[in-house]
Amino acid sequence: MAKLRVTYETGDPEKVIEFDLDKAPFQHDGQPGSILDIMLGHEISLEHACGGNCACTTCHVIVKSGMTNLSENEEAEDDLLDRAPGLTPTSRLGCQAVFEKDGEVTILVPRYTINQQVG
Amino acid sequence: MDSRQVSEAIIDRIVEHNSDTRSLFLRFPNDQRLNFIPGQFLSLQLPVAGKILTRPYSIASNPEDRGPLEICFNLVPEGQGSHYLFSLGAGDSVTFTGPWGTFVLGQAPSAECIFLADGIGIVPIRPMIHRALKSHSQFAVRLLYHVAREYELLYRTELEAWTQQHVQFSLELLGGYTSDRLSTVQGSLLEYVEDQYVKRDEDRSRHFYICGVGSQVTQLRDLLRGAGYQRRAVVYEKW
Repeated sequence: MAKLRVTYETGDPEKVIEFDLDKAPFQHDGQPGSILDIMLGHEISLEHACGGNCACTTCHVIVKSGMTNLSENEEAEDDLLDRAPGLTPTSRLGCQAVFEKDGEVTILVPRYTINQQVG
Repeated sequence: MDSRQVSEAIIDRIVEHNSDTRSLFLRFPNDQRLNFIPGQFLSLQLPVAGKILTRPYSIASNPEDRGPLEICFNLVPEGQGSHYLFSLGAGDSVTFTGPWGTFVLGQAPSAECIFLADGIGIVPIRPMIHRALKSHSQFAVRLLYHVAREYELLYRTELEAWTQQHVQFSLELLGGYTSDRLSTVQGSLLEYVEDQYVKRDEDRSRHFYICGVGSQVTQLRDLLRGAGYQRRAVVYEKW
């Protein structure tokens, strides 16, 4: 079994999901087995304005531990993260960061996204 | 309106461009206007099969336009969201958040701009070009627009008019079709871009904006970045 621990910058209570990786995808948005897929499939919301298609940064999360259990960043993800506010060395897009092995990952859901800015 | 706030809009009218492409013109309560940057999209919340689907739809109109806001999209064969939207009529309502997205052109260009649109990818690019032309920038603005069949060309009259109205704007149509009215280049965007902007000269100061469906978008990105164009000068949205 794998485990995803979700913490919030807003101070909301943390949530823990234990799941069988072989059962991915858990729903229809984001890469199968991604943080977004796992959260939505366990009825925990995460913003994903583009439907989990790697076209915005609303599912930006910061990986606090367990990065080695996740897929490596691809160029499209890095290009979008480049524009995310509060970017950190362990920032990921929830729709693209895929669990590749059993283990525990802890993420922090940040408060804001750049997509709120308008011209 | 706040991007995160779930808002409602009424479908004012529908324009059918062809059998599988249409525009919905959305009007907001109290004739409110949505503040957005050319290139952004709305995130529609669609009630399908007992669930709420979140799906992005690019804004085809300009921020300064009066009247309803236009979104334009294709009917996707297996796409639950687009099938739902195709079932709606004038007077029906939709809920959305947004605007969202970082594939934008918000300011006057600071270099020659090449827009690469494949099929329905013209939608967010249309207001981006409009913004570039309205900014009275000295730099050339070029659109390379590929469609497989002539009837798939969107906003053709407007694009052709821009070539007459703006000396810095040029339009190249690419595709496998022939037309009496239009001069088209045979071949793919990838081949044309490689010929015109990689092999032809050493100028690497241009800015590229790429939008379309599928892997061709990232192939164009890789071609241009690999040829020496700056990473941040090659921006794209892949559907």
